[in-house]
Amino acid sequence: MLTLKIWIVQALFIFFTTESVGELLDPCGYIKPESPIVQLGSNFTAVCVLKEKCMDYFHVNANYIFWKTNHVTIPKEQYTIINKTASSVTFTDISLLNIQLTCNIRTFGQIDQNVYGIRIISGLPPEKPTNLSCIVNEGKKMMCQWDPGRETYLETNFTLKSEWATEKFADCKTKRDTPTSCTVDYSPVYFVNIEVWVEAENALGKVTSDHINFDPVDKVKPSPPHNLSVSNSEELSSILKLTWINSSIQGFIGLKYNIQYRTRDASTWSQIPPEDTASTRYSFTVQDLKPFTEYVFRIRCMKEDGKGFWSDWSEEASGITYEDRPSKAPSFWYKIEPSHTHGYRSVQLIWKTLPPFEANGKILDYEVTLTRWKSRLQNYTVNDTKWTVNITNDRYIATLTARNLVGKSNAAVLTIPAYDFQATRPVTDLKAFPKDNMLWVEWTAPNESVNKYILEWCVLSDKAPCIQDWQQEDGTVHRTYLRGNLAESKCYLITVTPVYADGPGSTESIKAYLKQAPPSKGPTVRTKKVGKNEAVLEWDQLPVDVQNGFIRNYTIFYRTIIGNETAVNVDSSHTEYTLSSLTSDTLYMVRMAAYTDEGGKDGPEFTFTTPKFAQGEIEAIVVPVCLAFLLTTLLGVLFCFNKRDLIKKHIWPNVPDPSKSHIAQWSPHTPPRHNFNSKDQMYSDGNFTDVSVVEIEAANDKKPFPEDLKSLDLFKKEKISTEGHSSGIGGSSCMSSSRPSISSSDENESAQNTSGTVQYSTVVHSGYRHQVPSVQVFSRSESTQPLLDSEERPEDLQLVDNIDSSVGNLPRQQYFKQNCSQHETSPDISHFERSKQVSSVNEEDFVRLKQQISDISQPYGSGQMKMFQEISVADAFGPRTEGQVERFETVGMEAAIDEGMPKSYLPQTVRRGGYMPQ
Amino acid sequence: MLPAAGELAAGDSWGMLACLCAVLWHLPAVPALNRTGDPGPGPSIQKTYDLTRYLEHQLRSLAGTYLNYLGPPFNEPDFNPPRLGAETLPRATVNLDVWRSLNDKLRLTQNYEAYSHLLCYLRGLNRQAATAELRRSLAHFCTSLQGLLGSIAGVMAALGYPLPQPLPGTEPTWAPGPAHSDFLQKMDDFWLLKELQTWLWRSAKDFNRLKKKMQPPAAAVTLHLEAHGF
Repeated sequence: MLTLKIWIVQALFIFFTTESVGELLDPCGYIKPESPIVQLGSNFTAVCVLKEKCMDYFHVNANYIFWKTNHVTIPKEQYTIINKTASSVTFTDISLLNIQLTCNIRTFGQIDQNVYGIRIISGLPPEKPTNLSCIVNEGKKMMCQWDPGRETYLETNFTLKSEWATEKFADCKTKRDTPTSCTVDYSPVYFVNIEVWVEAENALGKVTSDHINFDPVDKVKPSPPHNLSVSNSEELSSILKLTWINSSIQGFIGLKYNIQYRTRDASTWSQIPPEDTASTRYSFTVQDLKPFTEYVFRIRCMKEDGKGFWSDWSEEASGITYEDRPSKAPSFWYKIEPSHTHGYRSVQLIWKTLPPFEANGKILDYEVTLTRWKSRLQNYTVNDTKWTVNITNDRYIATLTARNLVGKSNAAVLTIPAYDFQATRPVTDLKAFPKDNMLWVEWTAPNESVNKYILEWCVLSDKAPCIQDWQQEDGTVHRTYLRGNLAESKCYLITVTPVYADGPGSTESIKAYLKQAPPSKGPTVRTKKVGKNEAVLEWDQLPVDVQNGFIRNYTIFYRTIIGNETAVNVDSSHTEYTLSSLTSDTLYMVRMAAYTDEGGKDGPEFTFTTPKFAQGEIEAIVVPVCLAFLLTTLLGVLFCFNKRDLIKKHIWPNVPDPSKSHIAQWSPHTPPRHNFNSKDQMYSDGNFTDVSVVEIEAANDKKPFPEDLKSLDLFKKEKISTEGHSSGIGGSSCMSSSRPSISSSDENESAQNTSGTVQYSTVVHSGYRHQVPSVQVFSRSESTQPLLDSEERPEDLQLVDNIDSSVGNLPRQQYFKQNCSQHETSPDISHFERSKQVSSVNEEDFVRLKQQISDISQPYGSGQMKMFQEISVADAFGPRTEGQVERFETVGMEAAIDEGMPKSYLPQTVRRGGYMPQ
Repeated sequence: MLPAAGELAAGDSWGMLACLCAVLWHLPAVPALNRTGDPGPGPSIQKTYDLTRYLEHQLRSLAGTYLNYLGPPFNEPDFNPPRLGAETLPRATVNLDVWRSLNDKLRLTQNYEAYSHLLCYLRGLNRQAATAELRRSLAHFCTSLQGLLGSIAGVMAALGYPLPQPLPGTEPTWAPGPAHSDFLQKMDDFWLLKELQTWLWRSAKDFNRLKKKMQPPAAAVTLHLEAHGF
């Protein structure tokens, strides 16, 4: 292996050195042929001839020769030893384009030496050029082109040759970059036939194409007509006249033309029949065009006989046909609006501008006529496409014509029915569907013949009002599409109204989408009620603005935090759904998707927790427990009630209540305080209402003449007062025990009256905790022991005894009670009064005193003082006047009546009087 | 074509048949019918006619350019000098009766000879032209005129007329001689162009006349040719 490498290196070295010096040195031999060009696929033989000198030098002969192509040794089988000095190599079917062939010798059995080298270039002879054709662009030189045939891999020259019968023209040699065409450098002579052919030549051969013989004028491509202009005609609105200038070739050949035209906005061309333009001309009138329409024209030409080529198209020229009267009446409809005037309606007549192909010109104005039943026709000219008029409730017929420069359209007639007209006969089977990006409406015509149909539509939206658009269709139509700018994913409310000769029929409506889309918002689901194992979900219908299509169904997805999502499909008509089989006390996440035909959209997720207990479960436990408790309590109470005596005995023994003793019964008859405010009342009622009656039933029974006694009693009492002998047993609570008290004396009198039973009266004298007691507490003693005081002061007792106790002296008692109260509030007065009482000896003095008191006590409390004064005054006058006496008698009677009342009286006078010590 | 002629002959008298037989006998001799597929002289006459009109069209612009090149008074529209000097130029103007009485051969021969001369003179004009553009136009016109000559020769050959032999010494006669003054030289040029134009007009008429003569149906053409043969 290593030796082989060394050998190769050596061989290469020698090879390169010999090759580099080969030019300078005389080569050892040579190869024939020197620079062969061989046809691909053919056989080739090369001969290497060694020179004698070399043979001797290297001691080699032809047997030592070996061949290499592109540095690869050729197998010996291809060699042929011709003689001692020459060896040949033969290649069959040469496929390589470029072969480097070297002749080598091996000297001294191991050193390779290059003798000579040649380069074999292979390729193909040219093929016969085909499809030779020539063209003569007008004003330019003739150009011919052809198909060169297969690739030759060799440099191939093409020569275009041309000649007349009498003369040869210069050859046209192709340029390197355009080997398949050539432009001759002479102007062709028309009408003289020329013969043209192509010669292709390379190292391997030369081939000539078929000769073509032609007249160059038959290969001419004229220049297009120029200065094309278009003019219209006022007489005929359907024609346009074209004029142009022909190319100069028209001077000696005839031309024919192609004229094409289209409307400005069209994309395809219409062509005028070629037979109409088959000869040379300079103008052409195009007919059957639409009025007031812009047309674009172009023209091209070629040799009249059709030989040659069409010219390029001319520059486009445009023109507008003249106006014609509108070919159709405008679409015409109306809307009735409520009018403020009674008996009138406001009618808005609306119409559509005619499309240009029907307007046939610029619409100048519209003429509206209104005809009331059997009434004169009224004419109006309107520039707008709507017109509002107040009409009566009668039936009207309105007509509309559009006017342009040339004339008026036919009239569109519309019957506006009377106010009370009832529309009937609607279309049936109304359908709306999108197709080819248009919204189609289809219906079945009513049985009657329909003049026309009115289609109205608008976008339903919560945000914007329904702004109606409309269009009119002929009475024969029952399928159309909405000609308006419709938007996708908007809900259109489409209304179809058939219009009969006597007015519009009733309408039919349908909703449709041009193209649905998934809703832009999903429904918001919430729980209406959550139970232990179920939840009632509710949601609102999606607003129409976000629906983007017909909501076909809803899907509710719900899951727990860890659980899989469950989906439930719900019909789109529902707004409520009950999820059942839920787990109690679990957090659920629920969301909802709404689907149109085009897809769905999820709403926000809502979370809720199922309760631990079902509704009422707690109540079911608590209520019986409470009831049981209540029952137990009730039974206990009942038991206690039944056994209350026993319990009472044990817990709180019966203590006698002194207040319930029967020593006396009080009849306070305290009048309401306000009574004192009125003088009249004072005189009429006051005297006896203030009476405290001490009744001793037994005594009363014994009284022979109560009335007499009363008068006497009163008299006595006055005396007692004046004499100052009175002295109560217990005394008033507010009086010191030492001080004589009228009330005490009254009591004494009462006591004396009850002499038969001899009762004792105990008077609680002192107040609680040094307070003056608010009430005079009278305790009935059950003792029958004579009172000690009576014994001590027998005269008093006697006096009292003498005086028949009566109610007549009660005012005095009242006085003292009042005084007592005064004493509490103003002890000075009490003191003063007390001293006066002590000092006073007659009635006059007493009266004076009272007045004084009232004067003094004025600042202290006018109300009470006044009362005090009045009472005093009354008392003061009392003994002198008969009326007064009689009044006292009345009081006594009243008192007698009072006997029927409960016997137990607390001294309520004081309490009511509000003079309780605070 | 031939069966049609046969039928025609069969339906006619014996004399006619004999005549047709003679036609058939002589058919190979008619030069126009020698080549198979040769459409006859008709198209070439038409073509020659078109060529005269094309040349006339060419000459109109060429003459304008060249007369401008010559300058006033030659480029003035009403310049109409007496014909002086250019005696050697073939005259196109001829008495109408004489023109009418010309037979086809003579007519074609006159045309051929005239254009041969005119072309010769025109080449001389080309050599004198100053501007390249004018030279190019003149060269193209010369080529076209040569085409016309070839075309006339073709028609004559088609009709079996021999081409007139060029007169020896004709060509060198148009050489810028020192005797000519510059004005006279220009006058010659002017007359050359004028004569060319007249000749083209006349040729148009000639070939139109020939064309009309050649238009009749094929059989008649054949008979006519046959008659020429005799």
